[in-house]
Amino acid sequence: MTILQKLRGPGETGGAARLCEVGAEVVGTSGAGVMLMADGVAGGSPCSSDAVSATLEELQFTLGEGPCIDAHRLGFPVLEPDLKNPDNKRWIGFAPAALAAGARAIFGFPIRLGSIRLGALNLYCDGAGSLTDDQHAVALVMADVVARAVLAMQAGAPAGTLSTEIEQGADRLFVVHQASGMVSAQIGVSVGEALLRLRAHAFAGEQPLSKVASNVIAGRLRFG
Amino acid sequence: MNREALVAQTFVSLTDTLVDDFDIVEVHSVLVERCVELFELTAAAVMLAGPDGDPRVGASSSEAMHLLEVFELQSQEGPCLDCIRSGEPVVNEDLEHVNGRWPTFVPAALAAGFRSVHALPMRLRGTTLGALNMYKSDAEPLSTEEVLLAQALADVATIAVMQHQAARDAQVLNEQLTHALHSRITIEQAKGIVAERGHQDMEQAFQRLRSYARRNNLKLADVAQRVIDGTLVVEALE
Repeated sequence: MTILQKLRGPGETGGAARLCEVGAEVVGTSGAGVMLMADGVAGGSPCSSDAVSATLEELQFTLGEGPCIDAHRLGFPVLEPDLKNPDNKRWIGFAPAALAAGARAIFGFPIRLGSIRLGALNLYCDGAGSLTDDQHAVALVMADVVARAVLAMQAGAPAGTLSTEIEQGADRLFVVHQASGMVSAQIGVSVGEALLRLRAHAFAGEQPLSKVASNVIAGRLRFG
Repeated sequence: MNREALVAQTFVSLTDTLVDDFDIVEVHSVLVERCVELFELTAAAVMLAGPDGDPRVGASSSEAMHLLEVFELQSQEGPCLDCIRSGEPVVNEDLEHVNGRWPTFVPAALAAGFRSVHALPMRLRGTTLGALNMYKSDAEPLSTEEVLLAQALADVATIAVMQHQAARDAQVLNEQLTHALHSRITIEQAKGIVAERGHQDMEQAFQRLRSYARRNNLKLADVAQRVIDGTLVVEALE
């Protein structure tokens, strides 16, 4: 079955969730997720095939490091077949957290169309090992399919608004931005500075950024 | 320049879609002019299938050719139209021996000095975008190789145009996505500021921003930006 046939499925019209399920299936990884980083701005995850993938994506957004972050920035796939015994020690914050979340191998493939850089495809495996040549090739194709799918999602949205799927995927990030606004008002700094404070707090307490943000919004955590 | 070099250079010109001033008419102009040169034609033109079904004349190598194509459209008959409608090539037709085909078109074409005609489809994956029309003033047929080459050039031009269009569309969508994301983030940040200063929840904060925007005929994202900049204080949001 072709990728497109899998995406359409019996009686389905596709949609973001299916995109990641199919992605993991065709490449043959434990899970897959999409990180939207349009124009360097974090845009959340329009889809994640499972909770582990969602956690890995959030970690990368929170910490600002990881294979997807690198892949998006560098423009080529960034591959780590064994987070536990890497040849190349990197991602001091992300690596242990990713292992704890259940990923052993992780691969980031840039999602792009020509010069348009949309983000990265996050692929993880619960066992160690590199992608085979075939898997790698399929992952490249999947990244291309995702690029077109993301733009197609946006094409369906009224002018000036985000498509529903993208909006839903960015919900956790919006919470962070709301919290940044609150903190900036609490301590009288810019929203950018406020976000850094939130990040530092999340990192220090080993908590997801979205959790810290929720606490701020609920009034359980104040900075000033 | 020898023929092979000209062919090679033509392929390169037709695929150079990354220039800032990429222009569909320019691509088709190169196509028709080079075809005239390579196949020793009298004239060539591109007819484009319109988006809503009405074909129109694209680039032409000469004024006489342009007029004939216009005439073909007006009389609703001719080799180029047949080619667009069927998606099939019309090759080596001698206009003096077409047995009553195109009764209005043929006399006009002969009067304009055109004797033999070829129309090749410009198709991609089942969609016919138009046709490449080629005329000679004699009945000398084009060889099989020449027809294949002409079709290849037409195909390359078609791919180039479609790819450019797709890239343009993608760029526009990307800009819309980025812009929408930026706007939304700004609004969320402003909600946080208003919620904190106004001792309200996010929903109330949102309503406050939105009401202010509406009453003052401003875009929500603009109001949000002003709140973030500090040029609009929360207390003023009444």
